[in-house]
Amino acid sequence: MTPYRFVPHTADIAVELVAPDEGGLRAAGLDALRELLVGASPVRALEERPIEARGKDPVERLVRYLEEALYLYDAERFVPARAGPAGVLGEPFDPARHTAAREVKAVTYHGAAVHRNDRGLSATLIFDV
Amino acid sequence: MSASSGTVRVERVDGYRWRVPRHGGMRTEGLIFADQELMQDLEGDQAVQQVVNVAHLPGIVGPAIAMPDIHWGYGFPIGGVAAFDEDEGVVSPGGVGYDINCGVRLLATPLAIADVRPRLRDLVDALYATIPSGVGASRSDLRLGRRELDAALRAGAAWAVTQGYGRDADLEAMEGHGTLPAADPACVSERAKERGKNQLGTVGSGNHFVEVGYVAERYDGPAADRLGLGAGTVTVFIHSGSRGLGYQVCDDSLETMIAAADKYRIALPDRQLCCAPISSSEGKHYWGAMNAAANYAFANRQVMAHYARRALTRVFGEAGEQTHVVYDVCHNIAKHETHDVQGKPRRLCVHRKGATRAFPPGHPELSPRFRDLGQPVLIPGDMGRYSYVLLGTDGAFRETFGSSCHGAGRRLSRHKAKLVARSRNVLRELEAQGILVRAANRATVDEEIPEAYKDVARVVDVVHGAGIGRKVAQIRPVGVIKG
Repeated sequence: MTPYRFVPHTADIAVELVAPDEGGLRAAGLDALRELLVGASPVRALEERPIEARGKDPVERLVRYLEEALYLYDAERFVPARAGPAGVLGEPFDPARHTAAREVKAVTYHGAAVHRNDRGLSATLIFDV
Repeated sequence: MSASSGTVRVERVDGYRWRVPRHGGMRTEGLIFADQELMQDLEGDQAVQQVVNVAHLPGIVGPAIAMPDIHWGYGFPIGGVAAFDEDEGVVSPGGVGYDINCGVRLLATPLAIADVRPRLRDLVDALYATIPSGVGASRSDLRLGRRELDAALRAGAAWAVTQGYGRDADLEAMEGHGTLPAADPACVSERAKERGKNQLGTVGSGNHFVEVGYVAERYDGPAADRLGLGAGTVTVFIHSGSRGLGYQVCDDSLETMIAAADKYRIALPDRQLCCAPISSSEGKHYWGAMNAAANYAFANRQVMAHYARRALTRVFGEAGEQTHVVYDVCHNIAKHETHDVQGKPRRLCVHRKGATRAFPPGHPELSPRFRDLGQPVLIPGDMGRYSYVLLGTDGAFRETFGSSCHGAGRRLSRHKAKLVARSRNVLRELEAQGILVRAANRATVDEEIPEAYKDVARVVDVVHGAGIGRKVAQIRPVGVIKG
């Protein structure tokens, strides 16, 4: 499990991520997003949907990656299992096995930040729910 | 008297107003409507800093304003109002929010609460069955092809009425008659349309709801009578917005606007405040898409109102069929409006994010039905206490670009609310108070416990006391559908 931690926020949900590199931040962010969307429902990594890493800095690349994963869930009911080498691994939503836990409107730029430290990278993000 | 909120110094103007003096890169001052206690609640919240941030944006006219239900939002605070010059100003998706035209509609029935109580469970069950709610809610009976969706984006509630969802008279009781003519479906991305194609007529989740209530108090009997809000009259509130389509329009625009802010050399204190000049290609594109998403929201509430009427008719027969729309307001929107600035009329782009238009009596944009009365302003509270109906005032038009508050505002985080509710049976507590709740899951109910919100009566009292709205009636809930 990659490290992520939800932190208090009055109106919505904030998360802190820690990882050695940007790929790790994306993986941690995706785990956090999956928990918000389907709780502890087990999700199989049956197929990979491509997500292009875009953005002029680490914050934009992280937010856009998670926004793409959220779009796949919301529009195509593709549940993320974990980050894949070229996108996101997961499977179609199955109401028999997956619980739709929460509606996530967006991954926001508000207060979004990526910092480098001696262990790698840390990030903060807020999900609009 | 002065105080500090976080690192921002604020000065008390009177019992209802606080001034944030201009400093640093602020182009104007901030004006916050709050009493002492609401101001203290803001201690440690980033919302006041967000008022300061908004005051940095180019072309802002008048103060950056915050309503008494202000709380931390994305870029702009929730409860924020800001007006921009049409030539020199900007339009910002952060000043509208993700849920474009999130808003409230109030229906009034000819039924009395005493007659509804014995069959309340039937009514709440009928509403729950006929209006999909919760995560990923969609309607199997209303799936729009691309041409139909574009028509809905163009015409909003009027489209829904032409499809048989409601009546022409409904449109007279809506902000902008439920159709914003600047909508351009071509500006809405395929991805947004994909997210929205099956969600029309659904409530969604989070703080959205359908709520049965009754008129518990009247502060202005003649005005309440004009609105069909007799004492004890049963009502239905609908709170929802543009669903996934609106979220995606906002999200798509952020990408464009971040680049635009660089292109037009607009210094941003927060990336979520990204914006573009109103007259730029980026600004115009967002305008077309934002108005289209707003029309989707109007159509969404129109379809839900139709099904609410149908549920009322199923349970109460002809009386349900006589249900009328009291009003429908947007509370996440930007609009071009004319306001008096230093004695001269000026065209402005007014952003209201978590704020409600509150036009005064005589305003030409109001339907003839409301022109002598002023615009109805609908302020929902939490599911355990009460909501309010107000009217717009001249004071609001003079001081807040014709704006008022939009709700109670959260005071507990969702996590804290769940902790508070963990050892309790909230559904049973509310039922003991005479409030039946139907919800897709327990987590939503726990997150939305009444004490998670400020007391909306305090918020409304500030609005009334400051003269930027006028209390007409209080409505108490008896049945709630939560997503």
